[in-house]
Amino acid sequence: MLSVPVQFQGPNQNMPTATLDTRRIGFDSASFEAFLKTRQEAAWMTNARRSAFELYQGLLQEDLNPEEFKRVDLRVFNAGKFRPDAGEADQTTMATLLSDKTEYGGHITHVNGQVTHFDAVDALKAQGVLFGDLPTLLASHRELLEPYFMKQAVRPASDRFSAWHAAFWTGGTLLYVPRNVEVALPLHSLIAHSRDGVADFSHTLIILDDGARATLLEETTSATEEIAGLHVGCVELIVGRNANLRYVQLQNWNQKSWHFAHQAGVVASNASLQWTVVGLGSRLAHIHQDIILNGRAATAEVNGVTFASDRQKISYYTLQHHKAQGTHSDLLYKEVLRDEARVIWRGMIKVDPAAQQTDGYQRSDALMLSDEARCDSIPGLEIEADDVRCTHGATTGRVDQEQIFYCMSRGISRKEAMHMIVEGFFQKVYDRIPVEVVRETLSRTVQSKLGIEAVTV
Amino acid sequence: MERVIGIDELQPGERRSVFVDDIPALVIRIESAYFVIEDVCSHDGQALTDGPLQDCSIICPRHSARFDLKTGKALCMPATEPIRVFKVEIRDGAVWAAMP
Repeated sequence: MLSVPVQFQGPNQNMPTATLDTRRIGFDSASFEAFLKTRQEAAWMTNARRSAFELYQGLLQEDLNPEEFKRVDLRVFNAGKFRPDAGEADQTTMATLLSDKTEYGGHITHVNGQVTHFDAVDALKAQGVLFGDLPTLLASHRELLEPYFMKQAVRPASDRFSAWHAAFWTGGTLLYVPRNVEVALPLHSLIAHSRDGVADFSHTLIILDDGARATLLEETTSATEEIAGLHVGCVELIVGRNANLRYVQLQNWNQKSWHFAHQAGVVASNASLQWTVVGLGSRLAHIHQDIILNGRAATAEVNGVTFASDRQKISYYTLQHHKAQGTHSDLLYKEVLRDEARVIWRGMIKVDPAAQQTDGYQRSDALMLSDEARCDSIPGLEIEADDVRCTHGATTGRVDQEQIFYCMSRGISRKEAMHMIVEGFFQKVYDRIPVEVVRETLSRTVQSKLGIEAVTV
Repeated sequence: MERVIGIDELQPGERRSVFVDDIPALVIRIESAYFVIEDVCSHDGQALTDGPLQDCSIICPRHSARFDLKTGKALCMPATEPIRVFKVEIRDGAVWAAMP
């Protein structure tokens, strides 16, 4: 038995603290200038980047919002290991989960922040739809797009990551659908990493004018399991009056990737947004998701499917902001955790004084498959109107061993029983996902995460 | 095993934040003994970094959960689960640590 005298040290006595070293958490001005040299852009874009970088330098010195980040352990993160890719575009074909599973109206692929593939059916052009590479279309349609780009949904000043993104955004997907136009076939966007140490700052901007309808399926992937990547992304969904947008983002990086994303949907009156967020990959992912219901009777349905394994850490910070009368939001997240994985969900429904007759709902359910996994679910309400219905809830539980025993007593193996229970757990959120191919893909991916041979469809 | 710190870099009662197998860890010297623990409280999942030391234990600076530095055992509420304690060796004038 080691004998030691009683020592009592208070905090902050010349000890290292958990405060982050700025060299580890961000990029300096030398890397910004080097990055700018690789871009051939109009002056207004470069100026916007410079203002964002100035903002970013200030935000780097400040602590992150503790409400959002205190449970997200960024100590191991080292930004110095990553740089935007300046080399030739990598034309290698990437394996994807969604791209060949259904008929699409168009595909766009970004590898290491550069566009490597684009195709679209002719009908899109005839309808006046803009779909393709964001920087190219932003340059050619400045008057139309500049009022939206990082001005209505995600703003550079939101926090360190949004400012970082605004200064360094590398490329991305744009979808603009004019008034009363319906894009019948879903569109597909792929963001991939193929080089070790790549930092990619992809941006997705979707604008639906009044009465328009569209579906975009987006996925992220890494070419191999070995490469380490950094994604500081941004998603802006702007849904005009009476419009309907279905957007799916399937995050499937390898387990050496870091994923930080600011995502926001702004929904105008009588419009609806169906938004599905899937978290399967990454070493650490933090998603800040805002749903802003701006117009009377705007509706948003948000679905979350997360399966974390090994030492993955996946974190969500969601806000359903009701700003107008008669708005409706419905958020359902389901998380499955195994091994030493950790999931954090911090959700908030905020109702402004003007947003009477609001109906807000949020729920997060977590299923733990091991003793070492950990899930922190924190729902919240902030209501300033007096005639609303807002409900929220969170559950966390282990797999019921009696259910496993029951299945095994009927000749089902433990693995199959576990699969049935996990599928059953996710079923409620699968049923809400409006695109069949996504439901099928998720089901197959869940099997492979459980270590069960995927069934070829 | 990974080299985490030179033995002379810490005085008795001092600590240093390090990484072991890419896990945030804390190396603590108490008299001539060195301990390496995972720097995460098992109660709220946040850092123990600046927590006061008492006997051979560390107290979480937020909710005062206390953990044994040798075994990782939770010694008082609100923690009920242990923290990870790394294997430690002293050789070549340095402290080496590895996953338990």
